[in-house]
Amino acid sequence: MVTIELFGIHREIAGIDKIKLPVGEKTLVSDALDYVRKKFPAISLKEYSVLITVNHEVASPDRPLKADDTVCILPHIGGG
Amino acid sequence: MLETGLHVAFDDCYNFVEALIYSLVPDNIPVRKRVYSTEEENTQYMKILAEIRYRPAGVVGGYTDRILRVDLSTQEISIQKLPPDFKHMYTGGRGYALKLIWDETGRDTRHDSPENLLVMASGPLGNEPGFPGTGKFIVGSISPLTDTFIDSNVGGHFGPLLKLAGFDALAVSGIFGEDAVVLIDGDNGTISIAAAPVYDEKTDKGALSFGARLLQDVNSGEYSDSLAAVVAGEGAVNSRFGIVNSLYYDRRRQRLRAKQAGRGGTGTVMRTKKLRGIVVKSGLPRANGNNAVDKKLVRQAGASLQKVITHCDHLQLNLSAWGTTGLSEYMNRFHIFPVNNYQFGQSPEAPKLFASVFLNEYFSKNLPDGCYYGCNLACSKGVETVVLTRGPMKGMTVSVDGPEYETVAAVSNMGIFDPRFVLEYNWYCDEYSLDTISTGVTGGFFMECVERGFLTHEDIGYALEFGNIDAVDRMLHEIGRGEGFGRIAGQGVARGKRWVAEKYAARKGLDADEVMTELNKFGMEVKGLEFSMYVTRESLAQQGGYGFSLKGPQHDETWLIFIDQVHREIPSLEDKANALKWFPLIRTWFNATGLCKLPWIDVRNPEAAGTPEPVKNTPTLAYYIDYLNGTTGSRKDLQDILDDSERLQLLQKLINLRQGKGTRENDRIPLRAMSPVFPHEYQVRAEYYDTWLKDNAGDRAVPASPEEKLKLLQEEREQAYQKLCDIVYDKKGYNSQGVPKRETVTKFGLLDEKAGRLLKEYGE
Repeated sequence: MVTIELFGIHREIAGIDKIKLPVGEKTLVSDALDYVRKKFPAISLKEYSVLITVNHEVASPDRPLKADDTVCILPHIGGG
Repeated sequence: MLETGLHVAFDDCYNFVEALIYSLVPDNIPVRKRVYSTEEENTQYMKILAEIRYRPAGVVGGYTDRILRVDLSTQEISIQKLPPDFKHMYTGGRGYALKLIWDETGRDTRHDSPENLLVMASGPLGNEPGFPGTGKFIVGSISPLTDTFIDSNVGGHFGPLLKLAGFDALAVSGIFGEDAVVLIDGDNGTISIAAAPVYDEKTDKGALSFGARLLQDVNSGEYSDSLAAVVAGEGAVNSRFGIVNSLYYDRRRQRLRAKQAGRGGTGTVMRTKKLRGIVVKSGLPRANGNNAVDKKLVRQAGASLQKVITHCDHLQLNLSAWGTTGLSEYMNRFHIFPVNNYQFGQSPEAPKLFASVFLNEYFSKNLPDGCYYGCNLACSKGVETVVLTRGPMKGMTVSVDGPEYETVAAVSNMGIFDPRFVLEYNWYCDEYSLDTISTGVTGGFFMECVERGFLTHEDIGYALEFGNIDAVDRMLHEIGRGEGFGRIAGQGVARGKRWVAEKYAARKGLDADEVMTELNKFGMEVKGLEFSMYVTRESLAQQGGYGFSLKGPQHDETWLIFIDQVHREIPSLEDKANALKWFPLIRTWFNATGLCKLPWIDVRNPEAAGTPEPVKNTPTLAYYIDYLNGTTGSRKDLQDILDDSERLQLLQKLINLRQGKGTRENDRIPLRAMSPVFPHEYQVRAEYYDTWLKDNAGDRAVPASPEEKLKLLQEEREQAYQKLCDIVYDKKGYNSQGVPKRETVTKFGLLDEKAGRLLKEYGE
């Protein structure tokens, strides 16, 4: 299983901060995003508006996922 | 009657003659120093002590080329006309403040020296309702905490109104004999020094309360958005970290709102000068307030940025709904949220302080907020109705402007996770005029001193411990009123450390300097300024961001912690050093020009994804460059504005050198900013640190014992920071001691005789 962590407005809409995704051999980051979109249609996940990390490293949508990975869906925080 | 009639007739004649003279002179002339001799001639509560009449200079391309000079020692009011090229060398805003303080203060100038200047200035891009975030101004001075230049950035209407009243900057020098106010009336063409009104004890001690009365008194009992004020309360008298409150009338909320120039003690400087408040008035229209050279370009740039904010903010940080409190959950998740004097970066209690709590339970909703017109990011949240449950105003119903993230985290830093207390702490700090950050970091330091046995409850007078709300509340009021332990705490961490060291050394028969060595490990200050509210030990880039910051560890120069620690977008030393060169230049450019940086840095433009370095958000920066060129008529590109900003940074570095705060030694940061200090800090994240050591210790074997692991970690982190210093200094054109090289200063046109002598002192 992969853990997908939600924050901020995504967490508010979903009502939870973590969801689990069963992962197969060819599960990609983009699949995790699609999973969130289907489960919570009200969450808008435009690619430019979020930063995805896998195990605390910035990840592209085509990065493969494996069991026990943690995917974080974050906004871009530049620091004011 | 006859006496009165003659008096009126004389006054009418005098006014006629004065008006005739005034119409014949171009700008200003102190036609008379008006001294009122009877109560009837005074404003109801204020005795005018000195006054000039003037004609406000118009704004052209964002500038008036005028500085208002007020010397409180001599009661002289004058208008300094600047040569047209001044603004090309010294942008701002911030540039004006730096140049004035470089020229008119010296090595021995301290915050309370008469020659110290208190400068307030917006910048060429302040005051444009067609562009988001143009309500910012800076307050610059020699700081009571750092003894060198500080510029504190603040929002509201004061800066724009000052410009409309005819001035790019206000520079106050001298020290008055009694409390005074300065009144700048751009509509009637008068500038006055008046004896500060005396209302009642409660009102006079506060900032918000005094400012509210003052703004009504100068406008026949009415608030108006044609007026704004800056004020500082009794906490600014009694501490070194007094703030300047910027008050303005919000038509939507129908009340006064307050923003703060929070860092570095500029409010303390203000009260040291016996300056109780400054009011500025101008009824000129705000639209096209800068008289832009290319109004169409300005409109287009503003519309483009507003569109990005509208479409993107609610999908990202959601600042328009949550304000900056939205940062709390991200900081907590990644161990960046300060808890118990930065010992920890995370707490299971932190969700009590997340944005949703403030939004659902406290913030006013359905009110477009903002600190200035035209900003649709509108992140200045507030709570309309709070009944105070503590302190001298217990039972009073107040409105709270805030809290910002930093205030929330200042409270968590003291081990408190009560959102209601955050609001009361916010309000009292504003009313007293205390920096919420310095108060929270100083409180956290003393709490840890108690925890570690350096101080006892008897030393303080009560149980100042992490999580003790009553104790924090007591400390806050003691600082504000200058009572009890507050007299010590109000000095800040740097001076507080010395007090603790001497006390503990005397008690234990130790050497005070050795005790200081221990306290320096967890006393969170650099150059005398307390850290702002981010735990940096897992971000080497942010350690540098705080250490190299010219004013002290305030994040407005550099905030790289997320792209370094969380995104890992700048993994190598070279990457970090490049970021530490670039980001401070662009971030402080916003401070120089009268702009808020949040619409750029915290709202990612969709087009940024297709650029080589999306984190720089250059498509949005392009709007700012258009706004600049459209306003001023310049033809600058991004490199030009970075060069303008670098000139100002170098000038600030020269001031730091002169004041003894400009070398590598002054860029040292506490051990806690780099590493766990004590074993329990390692143990709470033992797995993480064990892995870090395996991955980073190179050829050095990872020891088995926890004590030796901690020692190795500390050594590795200290070495990494020193290596970072070397590479960053090189990139900035400094020598290995952090002193700018002669050729660097020459390149930016700053090598005059004074700078040359100074560099020679430091071996350049």
